[in-house]
Amino acid sequence: MARINSHDPERQEVLTRRATLFGGAFTLMLAVVGGRLFQLQVADHQKYLDLANDNQYNRRVLTPLRGEIVDRFGRPLASNRQTFRLLFIPEQTKDLDEAFEAVHAIIPLSEEKRARIRRQMRRRGQGTPIEIDADLTWDEFAKINFDLPHLPGVLPEVGEARNYPLGGATAFVVGYVGAVTDKDIAGVVDEGEENLLRQPGFKVGREGLEKTYDRELRGVPGALDVKVNAYGRVIEELTDKARPPIQGQTLALTIDAELQLAAMKELEGESASAVVMDVVTGDILVLASTPAFDPNDFNFGIKPDLWKQLNESPYHPLLNKPISALYPPGSTFKMISAMAAEMSGVSPSFTVSCPGKLWYGNRYFHCWKKGGHGGGINMRNGIKHSCDVYFYTLAKSLEIDVLAEAAHKLGLGQKFELGIPGQRQGVVPSREWKKAYYAHSPENQTWFPGETLSVIIGQGYVTATPLQLAVMAARIATGKEVRPRIVRVTGDRELPPQPFSDLGIDPKFFATIRAGMDAVVNEPGGTAVRSALENPEWRMAGKTGTSQVYAITAADRARGLAKPEDLPWHRRDHALFVCYAPVENPRYACSVVVEHGIGGARMAGPKAREIMRAVTTRNPAARPAYDPRSAVGAQQARAG
Amino acid sequence: MATIQLPGRRRDFRDALSRLHWPLIGMLTMIASAGVLTLYSAAQGSWTPWALPHLVRYGMSLGILIAVALIGMRVWQYLAYPIYAVALIALIMVPIFGVERLGAQRWIDLGHFQFQPSELMKVGLVLALARYYHGLRVEQVSHILFLIPPAIMIGAPVGLIFMQPDLGTAMMLAITGVALVFLAGLSWRIGFLGMLGAVGAAFAAYRFDILHQYQVERILTFLDPDRDPLGKGYHLLQSKIGLGSGGFVGKGYMEGTQSELKFLPEMQTDFIFTIFGEEFGFVGALFLLGLYYAVIVTGISMALRAKTHFARLTAMGILVTFALYVVINTGMVMGLAPVVGVPLPLVSYGGTVMITIMVGFGLVMSAHLSRDGEGGLGL
Repeated sequence: MARINSHDPERQEVLTRRATLFGGAFTLMLAVVGGRLFQLQVADHQKYLDLANDNQYNRRVLTPLRGEIVDRFGRPLASNRQTFRLLFIPEQTKDLDEAFEAVHAIIPLSEEKRARIRRQMRRRGQGTPIEIDADLTWDEFAKINFDLPHLPGVLPEVGEARNYPLGGATAFVVGYVGAVTDKDIAGVVDEGEENLLRQPGFKVGREGLEKTYDRELRGVPGALDVKVNAYGRVIEELTDKARPPIQGQTLALTIDAELQLAAMKELEGESASAVVMDVVTGDILVLASTPAFDPNDFNFGIKPDLWKQLNESPYHPLLNKPISALYPPGSTFKMISAMAAEMSGVSPSFTVSCPGKLWYGNRYFHCWKKGGHGGGINMRNGIKHSCDVYFYTLAKSLEIDVLAEAAHKLGLGQKFELGIPGQRQGVVPSREWKKAYYAHSPENQTWFPGETLSVIIGQGYVTATPLQLAVMAARIATGKEVRPRIVRVTGDRELPPQPFSDLGIDPKFFATIRAGMDAVVNEPGGTAVRSALENPEWRMAGKTGTSQVYAITAADRARGLAKPEDLPWHRRDHALFVCYAPVENPRYACSVVVEHGIGGARMAGPKAREIMRAVTTRNPAARPAYDPRSAVGAQQARAG
Repeated sequence: MATIQLPGRRRDFRDALSRLHWPLIGMLTMIASAGVLTLYSAAQGSWTPWALPHLVRYGMSLGILIAVALIGMRVWQYLAYPIYAVALIALIMVPIFGVERLGAQRWIDLGHFQFQPSELMKVGLVLALARYYHGLRVEQVSHILFLIPPAIMIGAPVGLIFMQPDLGTAMMLAITGVALVFLAGLSWRIGFLGMLGAVGAAFAAYRFDILHQYQVERILTFLDPDRDPLGKGYHLLQSKIGLGSGGFVGKGYMEGTQSELKFLPEMQTDFIFTIFGEEFGFVGALFLLGLYYAVIVTGISMALRAKTHFARLTAMGILVTFALYVVINTGMVMGLAPVVGVPLPLVSYGGTVMITIMVGFGLVMSAHLSRDGEGGLGL
């Protein structure tokens, strides 16, 4: 051990100097601390006082109930139902993983879900809760409430979720709602709207009318100022200054839920669509598409495997077939063809003999009926029997542009303002159309007369949606420019049906095709006599259509493929039917398309008959519709 | 300790008590009272769970302070190395027998109470270094060979605590040790080179992932609090809001909203100064800082007048530790230093730190008693 020398003056001097230095350094540091204190507490006092108040008072957005969508009689198609939901406030937890584990013990919380919650934490505002689960069972809800003291940050709550009582039956009309995404928020400039979108579990319309009328359905958010602590826990509600939320507007449609369900039932098992219209008002009573998805599956985010299944199905359950699927109209186009011929001066009494095929250009054009229809086919009978040779003959001297004009007038090749997204326009071929279509290959731009032969029987380039076919039937029935609509009432504003103007076609041009359609259904030998309605008051006129998907080749025939049933499903012909009733003073028009249904008379006609039977029996046009001024109507309809 | 109750020593005992530096004890008591007051307010006007235990602990610690003071510097000088050795062995045992709390192993469970060896080391290191330099002449201090023992004495515990991991305490300990070496008379030239080395080591630590992720985060958050507004930076922001909204005279006792509404995390420990500043304002906060300043200045004057070099260095080492606590904690709650979890001495809630500090001031007091004669009870 070194010798202890407690009296070393030099050593003591050094220590004294350095201790003084330390004292000085400490003084300096404390001065800095004091200066900082001055800056915070005196210089910037006001700024921090404001921040402290911001901390304490929080404006809570009161989410409005989403407006209902009801059918023409007030029956709800989209409403709200109570749910038990689980919210989560991260500020109230110390350890996120611990909190997740605690919840996981009661309701499963997958890794993906945890990741989603973490993502949402970054997106939301301070203290805004996150939805962990939107639809708990009562059991789960009770268990959570029981264990609440051990579940930090967890907030069970009664919420509202969208409910579609008719499920898939009205899926393509009302659409569905979905969670708010970053993209939705990115486009929003209004702060109030942004706050609303950031509410936990808030939904926006993603498809159908829910999407188009999202603004109207959203309603007006209310506000409530609350005093909160750092964990977002409400200490005090300043209720006297609260503004209650206002529910979104009610959307009353022209759809008749009863008939919609009947039509869906009729089409069940097929990949098909049906449209029924009131030809006087343009009201769409039925807009059916099968198979359909259930919009309720989208309420809390669709399960990935279900989504995959819906997307991959060959029956396209996500496709809104009445307005988004295009089909060659086949023989249902022949009314247009006949009208075009009359407009170009062909007399309805022009008669043709049908040997079953017609030589034109360098090949035979076949009639659907092997062996032909024999002699004496005039225009009316050409429609009645759907004789292709008759129309081939007309086509030889018909200008394609006249045909196109007639098609446009009767509703093809155009979109109608319905408010349902995804509507397609279809193709009405003309010389100009072909030029534009082949803009990059000039050698293909010329219209060949042979092509008119295909178009005149509704094949070739021409395509139409079932909605357009229904409009066509309605326009043939009335001679007026019928325009479909599907929304009757928004909020308390009833949209009166617009009187339709005349199509500007000589009424005598309608006589032959109407008589032909009458004969199709009601005369022996007509292609759809089996689809006649029994009630003479509702005598129905119609037209079958079979549009070719795949041409059976000679090679196929050699392999023994003769009948369409021998083909695989996706190569079979589409079956179509258009009709209206009654023949005198028409009220309802309908179109039915059964994909790969082989024949219009076989598959589409009988279905159209059943639907029209339901429509005419119920006769919705004669019943008082939902009146927005008295909610009584709605309640009655609901009670019924 | 039994000796102080011997009948024959009664007179000496009373005499020794009267020679204690009572103004210093008065200042410490005022600081601790500020702690009790603030803890009472932080609990929304309740003696539990913090204010009453704090008061009781202070009372007990004051007893310890007096006892340590009366035992006398000679004994402490004799025990300096043994205490250091015990603390070091305990630190080595932590990873073997230790209890893990909040992701770090810092505690040893001794049946009824848990004990943090790093706290003992704060005193042990000061004692050991003081003891070491007590035996060196001033010209030996800067000799490279004589720098090796203190380097090991400092490096071993700092490394062990760093690995627990407890960055805050390791840093405090390192700074205290280095400060003592300087106080002992290390030449500025060597000091400067050492500093360069330290900076290089820190850079290397950052580069080669020696630091835990959360430690890196803390430092980065300190450099830019906005990078994580709801994490560490959020707490700092809330702390600044608390202080700033207090203003010149404060919101008034028990009127602070930041604590009432729980915007401050760990408000009874690391952020206690914020609550005090929010309620008592600039005036109150400055007064508290003034008390700390007075303690340090008084302490330095006591230290420099001590009899032995050991006593002087020990007292100075304790004061350096104490000053570090004050500067780092107050700097931390105002955004001048990283949030490293250093308590405000005698005000923050927490028993171990309180005992460490009071034992430390017991040593300062002991040095003071040694100024004329042997001091203490002459053991």
